[in-house]
Amino acid sequence: MQTILDTVIWVILALHLLMVIVAAWNAWRGENSVMRLVGLDIASTLTTAVLVIISIIRQNSLFLDVAIVTTALGYLSTVALAKFISDQRVF
Amino acid sequence: MEAVLQFIAILLLMLGTFLSLVGLIGFIRLPDVYTRLHATGKVSVFGLVFLLIAASILTPLTVWKGILLIFFVLLASPAVSHSIASAAYKAGVPLADAKRDDLKSKLSRGKGKDV
Repeated sequence: MQTILDTVIWVILALHLLMVIVAAWNAWRGENSVMRLVGLDIASTLTTAVLVIISIIRQNSLFLDVAIVTTALGYLSTVALAKFISDQRVF
Repeated sequence: MEAVLQFIAILLLMLGTFLSLVGLIGFIRLPDVYTRLHATGKVSVFGLVFLLIAASILTPLTVWKGILLIFFVLLASPAVSHSIASAAYKAGVPLADAKRDDLKSKLSRGKGKDV
């Protein structure tokens, strides 16, 4: 069971890195600014997923703290940018 | 018991990755901002939460961190989706293949020129 777990985890890490690249490409070359904002949001979520997988591989819970901070930063930046797009000002 | 927990964790990891992949394919293929937001909710809710349950099972001493992160993700993801959809509607991003628009008489929309 341990060897199956190792294989599955490395395959999943590769797939998530590929998905981060695709989402970052959409955040870079989107159709309009809202579409690029959606790409940024999904890229930050997938970065959190990559950090969770790394914490499973290293058997170290330190990476989950970094994942919490990444989630908070992605949430705040996405809400602030959405407010800027809708009202043309942040505050 | 250890083998059963590892089997459950492998199942959760594969299911979460499959749902993230489905969400990303929907994000690329769907025609509209609003339908794309429907697809990206799958990535943040199902994919990340299943990975976090698997991490709570597999890694020692991370149960409470995992539960805290699950709580925060389930709290933050609907708020993000709602704010992006509201910003898109107010900025005037057109709806693809819309039959009726209930918000037309209640909110003022932009022209969609500056997005």
